[in-house]
Amino acid sequence: MSKQVTRREFLNLLSAAGGTAAALKAGSALGLLPHTAQAASMDLLAANPESRKVAILGAGISGLTVAYELSKVGYECTILESSHRPGGRIFTVRHGDLIDEIGNRQYCEFDDEPHMYFNAGAARIPSTHRNLLAYCKELNIDLEIFINENKTSYVQDPALLGGKPIRNIDYTTHTRGFMAELLAKSLSAGEMDQPFTDSEAETLMSLIRSFGSLNEDNLYKGSLRAGYAAGGFLEHGVQKDIIAFRDLLKTQMGGRLLDANEGDTGPILFQAVGGMDKIIEGFTNHVGHQIRYRSMVNAVEVKDDGVDISYEQDGARHLLQADFCFNCIPSHLMTGIPNNFPTQYMNALKYIRRGTAYKAAFQAKERFWEKEDIYGGISWMNNPSNQIWYPTAGMHKQKGILLGAYDYGDGELHTAMTHEQRIEAHLTDGENIHPNYRNQVEKPITIAWHRMNHMLGCSARWQRDRSGWSHEEEELYRALQQPVNGRHYMIGDQVSMHSAWQESAVMSAQWAMADLNRRLQA
Amino acid sequence: MLKTFLALSLCMVCIGNAAAAESEREPFDDRYCTTCHGTDGRGNEGVQAPRLAGMESWYLRRQLENFRGDIRGVHSEDKEGIAMRPMATKLTDESIDDIIGWISSWEYMPTEVTIEGGDPARGRGLYSGCAVCHGANAEGNESLGAPALAGQNDWYLVTQLKNFLAGYRGAHPDDTYGAQMRTMVNTLRNEAGVLNVVSYINTLSR
Repeated sequence: MSKQVTRREFLNLLSAAGGTAAALKAGSALGLLPHTAQAASMDLLAANPESRKVAILGAGISGLTVAYELSKVGYECTILESSHRPGGRIFTVRHGDLIDEIGNRQYCEFDDEPHMYFNAGAARIPSTHRNLLAYCKELNIDLEIFINENKTSYVQDPALLGGKPIRNIDYTTHTRGFMAELLAKSLSAGEMDQPFTDSEAETLMSLIRSFGSLNEDNLYKGSLRAGYAAGGFLEHGVQKDIIAFRDLLKTQMGGRLLDANEGDTGPILFQAVGGMDKIIEGFTNHVGHQIRYRSMVNAVEVKDDGVDISYEQDGARHLLQADFCFNCIPSHLMTGIPNNFPTQYMNALKYIRRGTAYKAAFQAKERFWEKEDIYGGISWMNNPSNQIWYPTAGMHKQKGILLGAYDYGDGELHTAMTHEQRIEAHLTDGENIHPNYRNQVEKPITIAWHRMNHMLGCSARWQRDRSGWSHEEEELYRALQQPVNGRHYMIGDQVSMHSAWQESAVMSAQWAMADLNRRLQA
Repeated sequence: MLKTFLALSLCMVCIGNAAAAESEREPFDDRYCTTCHGTDGRGNEGVQAPRLAGMESWYLRRQLENFRGDIRGVHSEDKEGIAMRPMATKLTDESIDDIIGWISSWEYMPTEVTIEGGDPARGRGLYSGCAVCHGANAEGNESLGAPALAGQNDWYLVTQLKNFLAGYRGAHPDDTYGAQMRTMVNTLRNEAGVLNVVSYINTLSR
C-alpha cells in the first residue's frame, strides 16, 4: 500500500524547502558558492636540459594534453600508442575507418562527406568544461552547439498509450501541467498562512501556474506550449488533446526524460564541427610527430632516476628510457603489464571496473526526421536500444548519420550479440518510433567499448555502490593519483572522480603536470 | 565497338579506384591475444584473462576450436568464457595456426600466488584424483588430453574449477574432455575444496 502524503506533511516539506532557500542566500553572501573561474593556466617551469625526456603511454586526450603542455616548455616527449590511431575513446568514425572491435572488426562504409560521421565515443562538451574548452580555443577548434534536448523528438514506451510514440513536448507539457495542478491544490489559500508570507505565497502560486501552464482556476486544461493540433499561423491555433495524467504515469521514463537535460548534459552543449576528433587533430597538429603507433607497452619499471618502458613495435622489442612517465593505459590493461608499482597502486588499478558502454549508428538514406519537424536531439525508447540521436550536423542535406542505440549503463546485452543480431535489434526497436526505419537506414556500425582492441572498456567505474564513494575507494583513488617515486603518473579520466568526460581526462593530466612542477620547484 | 571499349575502360577505372580505396584501409591481423592476456600472454587478472605463455599447443588449439565451434563459452553464467568466445568466432584455421605459433614463442615466467584461504595440506589429498590425468606435478599429459595446471594463474584455476562444478563449463554434448572433467571435479565438492586444491597446485613448481 502506498502511503498518502497528507496536506500537513506536504506543507512541512515546503517549510523545509524555505529553510534551504534561506541557507543558500546566506551562503552566497559569504562567498561559499562556486563561482565561475578561468581554465587553469599551466605555467610550468622550463625543462631541465639534463632531465627532459618524457614517456607518455597512450595517445588519448590526457596523454596528448601532457605532450602538448610539456613540449611547450622544452620537454622531449615520446608517445607510445598501441592502436593505429590517436584519441582513444574520442573516436569519430567516417568512411573507410577501421573499427577494431575484437571479434567484430568492421570498416565503416558511410558516404564520404564531411557531415557523414559518427562520434562513437565522446560526443558532447558541456559549457562548464572550461579546461577542455580552453584547449579548443587555443587550438582553433571550431565548435557548434550540440542539440541534446529536442521537444519535437519522440518518447516511446509500450506501457504508454499502447506503445504509440508521442512527442517529448506532449509528455513534458502535460506532466508539468498536472504536477503543477496538484501543487496548486495543495497550496489553496486556506493553508497558506504557515510557511510563507502572503507575498511569498502569491509569488509561489504564480510560479506554479507558469511552471504548469495552469488556467486562472489553477487547473491544467492543456496548453498551446505543446504545439498546435492545427492552425496557429494564418488561422486560430487549435490546442492539442490532453493525454490523461493516469496514462502519463504508466511510463517509468519520466525520470530519464527530465534528468537528461540537466547537469553535465544540460544546455549549453557543444560539439566540434566535423567530428569530435577534430580536437585530437588540434593536439596532433602540434605533437603528432611524437606518436609511435602500434607500439604496445610490455613493461614499466620505475627507477630512482627515471622510468624504463619496454615496448613492442613491428615485431621487435624496444626500450624507452625517460626521466618521467605519464601513463593513461586503461587500469584493467595495466594490470596485465609487468611493473614494479607499489602494492596500493596495484590494488587501485585492480579495483577499478571497466565500463561497458555500447553505441550503434546507421546511415540514413534521407533525413526523414526533418519531415517530422525534428532537427537534432534525442528520441527516447523504453527498449534496449534506448535512444535515437538525430544529427546536429548537415541540416537539410540529403543524408545523415543517426545514432541507433546507446546503452551507457550496461551495454552487455548488445555486446554479447553478433553484429547481425545487434543490427536487427536496433531496427526492430527503432521501428517503434519510425515505422519505415528498416527501409530508411543502411550501412550500420556497432561499437562495444568493452571489446575494443587496446581498450577493452569504456569509462572507469570506481564506485561499487551508486550511493557514493566509500572511504576505501577514495583512499585507492588518492593513492593512484599520486606519482610513483615522483616519476610515474597515472592519468586519464580513470584518475578522476567523474569519469567518461574529456574534461576529467584533461584535468587529470593537468593535475599530474602541476604536481610534477611543484616537486621540481621544491 | 567504341562504346564497348569505353564501358570496359570505365569499368576498369571503377575497379582501379575500389582497389586503391581498399589498399588505403587500415590493415589488421588476428594477433589480438595480448590485449587481454597481457604482455607475452602472462595473464591479466584485471580482465580475468589467463596465462597463455607455456600453455600446450594442442590444448590451445582444442580450446580455440571449442570457442569457435560454440562448444565453450556458451553457458550464460560462464562470464569469462562468454567474453572469450567472440574473439575466436571469426578465426580461420590459418589464424589459429599463426596464433599458436606466436604464443609458443613467448617465454614462460612464474605466476604470482594471489588466492587466500586455501589449505594446501588438504588440497594435496584432493589432488591425488587430479594427478591421474594432470600428472603428479601438475605438468599435464598430452596423451590424456589433460593440460598442465602448475604455473597457471591461480585465480583462473579457481574460476574454471567452480565453473566445472556448477556445470557452466563442460556441459556441452560435444565437449568430451569437459565432460570427463565435470565428473572428476565432483571430488572437490565445493568452493572450499576448490581453494584447497588450487593452493596445493600453487606449491608445485613448474
